[in-house]
Amino acid sequence: MLSGPVKAPVLGTGFHTSLGKESRAQTLQNGKRQIHNLGSQLQLNQHCLDTAFNFFKMVVSKHLTRGRKMAHVIAACLYLVCRTEGTPHMLLDLSDLLQVNVYILGKTFLLLARELCINSPAIDPCLYIPRFAHMLEFGEKTHEVSMTALRLLQRMKRDWMHTGRRPSGLCGAALLVAARMHEFRRTVKDVIGVVKVCEATLRKRLTEFEDTPTSQLTIDEFMRVDLEQECDPPSFTAGQRKVKMQALEQELAKKLDEVQGEISLYRDEIETELENSRPKLRGIYAAYAKEIDPLDEVLSQASCASPREVDPEEDEELEAVAQHLNQDFLCQVIQGEKQGDERGGEGGTEEAPPPPPPPRGGPSLASILGPLPSAASLGLSESIQECIAEDKDSDGKSESGELDLDGIDDKEIERYILNDKEVRVKTDLWMKQNEEYLREQKEKEERIAKEKEQGTYKEKPKKTSKKREPIRASTAGEAIEKMLEQKKISSKINYDVLRDLNSKVGSGNSSPARPTSTEEPPSGPPGRKRLTRRKKQPNKTNMGLATTASIMGKRLRPLISSAPKKKRAASQVTPNLTPAATPALPTLSSPPTPTPPGPTMVESGPVAYDEAAEEEEEEEVEEPCVSAWQLLGGNEYGCEAEEEEVF
Amino acid sequence: MEPSDDVALDIIITNVVAVFRTRCHLNLRTIALEGVNVIYKPEYGKVLMKLRKPRITASIWSSGKIICTGATSEDEAKQGARRLARTLQKLGFKVRFSEFKVVNVLAVCSMPFAIRLIDFTKNNRPIASYEPELHPAATYRIKTLKATVQVFSTGSLTITGPNVQTVATAVEHIYPMLSECQKPLRK
Repeated sequence: MLSGPVKAPVLGTGFHTSLGKESRAQTLQNGKRQIHNLGSQLQLNQHCLDTAFNFFKMVVSKHLTRGRKMAHVIAACLYLVCRTEGTPHMLLDLSDLLQVNVYILGKTFLLLARELCINSPAIDPCLYIPRFAHMLEFGEKTHEVSMTALRLLQRMKRDWMHTGRRPSGLCGAALLVAARMHEFRRTVKDVIGVVKVCEATLRKRLTEFEDTPTSQLTIDEFMRVDLEQECDPPSFTAGQRKVKMQALEQELAKKLDEVQGEISLYRDEIETELENSRPKLRGIYAAYAKEIDPLDEVLSQASCASPREVDPEEDEELEAVAQHLNQDFLCQVIQGEKQGDERGGEGGTEEAPPPPPPPRGGPSLASILGPLPSAASLGLSESIQECIAEDKDSDGKSESGELDLDGIDDKEIERYILNDKEVRVKTDLWMKQNEEYLREQKEKEERIAKEKEQGTYKEKPKKTSKKREPIRASTAGEAIEKMLEQKKISSKINYDVLRDLNSKVGSGNSSPARPTSTEEPPSGPPGRKRLTRRKKQPNKTNMGLATTASIMGKRLRPLISSAPKKKRAASQVTPNLTPAATPALPTLSSPPTPTPPGPTMVESGPVAYDEAAEEEEEEEVEEPCVSAWQLLGGNEYGCEAEEEEVF
Repeated sequence: MEPSDDVALDIIITNVVAVFRTRCHLNLRTIALEGVNVIYKPEYGKVLMKLRKPRITASIWSSGKIICTGATSEDEAKQGARRLARTLQKLGFKVRFSEFKVVNVLAVCSMPFAIRLIDFTKNNRPIASYEPELHPAATYRIKTLKATVQVFSTGSLTITGPNVQTVATAVEHIYPMLSECQKPLRK
């Protein structure tokens, strides 16, 4: 691609030079056309469009269009113009028109602004007021309401409600209040429909405004007086409140600590007494204590352990934990006092962070464990704490260690690794979970192996491109279904129309004609082609498939220009459904039903056209559409279509 | 790490992202089946392993490249990474701990005053950008430090940079500009 001036002298390879010139000129031309297209939908004047085109030229010369969708770049250029000129257009409007996520457009816009060094002024919500007021239809009093809303907005600005907020939300709140002040009944729903924020946002803004002292004024006072005092931004006050809450919580926590301190004092006293009475068991405590921790981990990780609720109350927890530990320790444990020890260990676990393992059966043990719940618990607690201290030591070591192996507690790491039995269980689970994926992988491998034998093996990973088989179906519905499943091939065909036609024209067309009937529109006059091309882009989205499938079999206006409009159309059109049979989507394969619409369609063809034209005009200022029936020109194109083979 | 000016601001590091390589091919399936706290994402081709001790989530690819997120300090990130490598070693792979690098540090900081974002953006035109329609904060990119500071109207800042030192420097850098545009407290 030539980066030199467009009018470069033709050097040796004249062919390449002329191509390069054309390519750039073509890009610019294309861009200009798109700008005009989009700009006229936004009702931008010629001056703005020219400025946008200039921006676009700059963008192209800086190669910023590379890797970006042209539509996004165009939208960003237009929005740049809107910002510099101060027109009341929101980025949301543009994204609505293009059906693109507003943040993606925003990203492109920010990048272009940065690269072109265009510092656009910040958005003032006041700019949007006249526009929204107009949309809310206040009639003669629109101007007054706008002025009131403006004053409200200025008040909001001074009260710091507007920083960091979407301007449209503030406008909505201001307009709502202004409307009520002038005795217009505009509900929240009306306003949010115009302003495009959600109800929650609007309510929040209203609440915030309520908190300001201005809200206490009456209408007359507000008009006359402007309060001097300014408020803090609401999120700031919320933050302050949080800080206060935290301070309160800390105080509470301190008090709790004190209380706990008392409890632990008592515990210590009991402990010391027990120590004196049972010196021998300490050693065994320590031994068991060390075993408890890893077991805890293992038990909690074992997938076969069914999760059961552990009661938060101390005694029950002790018993439950005791029960389960006893199950495992039984073989190693000596009866009687040793059981008390384990219970004690469990009691110690309360203090220690490890999660209490799920309890298992063994009510009989509970009775044995009944006496002396507190005794052993206290004894073991210390040994548990020793355990924890060990962990901490290992942490310290690893921080100071330099190499991989130094200071990393191997034992702890081993806990991260399951043993054989667990591996098997997990393997089973995982296999079950990922069956589909594994199956796909196998099939893929088989396919590759087969192709290797055949010698047609491609190195590139194949995309699942389905072969284009001619659709063979016995009924209209089936054919449509199959066609719907297929990937859209041509962008010049309005598939939605065709599908509708297929369902309406129905049994009249034989099945081979059905796939070919999809090619009818392209063979139509150029006027129709223009229309179909307009629908090109949205039809590429798979959304179209789903939505049109859902309106299959219903009497629709023949031309639905784009997928999203289709959705709107669907809702709009349902009231327009003629009394013809409207089989629902599941009943696609019902040959008899299309026949009644067949003859009726002829009659109501023009009617549908009018409705279509009206609806089309309502939605967009575009040329009136021709009904698909007329597009097809009745059946006369059937023959021509069969000759052509687009698939 | 606090800036060395009169005001003691608390910069709290919330996230540290680090990468390292094990220099050997890893079998993700083995890791997925024998590791305790792993999530296998076959469609993305990686395994997520979560450690408890330094709270870290690691994305492990079969090529041996690993990304560690969730640490609260650079040291912790390194420690967690080494632990992870040790775990993988135990699973049977010939792991070598190489090319450890902290890639991103995210910190939050709070100013004791509120900030007028529009004035702030106006004063720092090309460097700062503020789009209320898109994001409630003004974004200030410091090219020399390769750091980004997001300034909210409440006075909170979110700073992202390649290491902790950069983050501290960024706060120092931006503090005077912010105090210029501060909003005097009323309540």
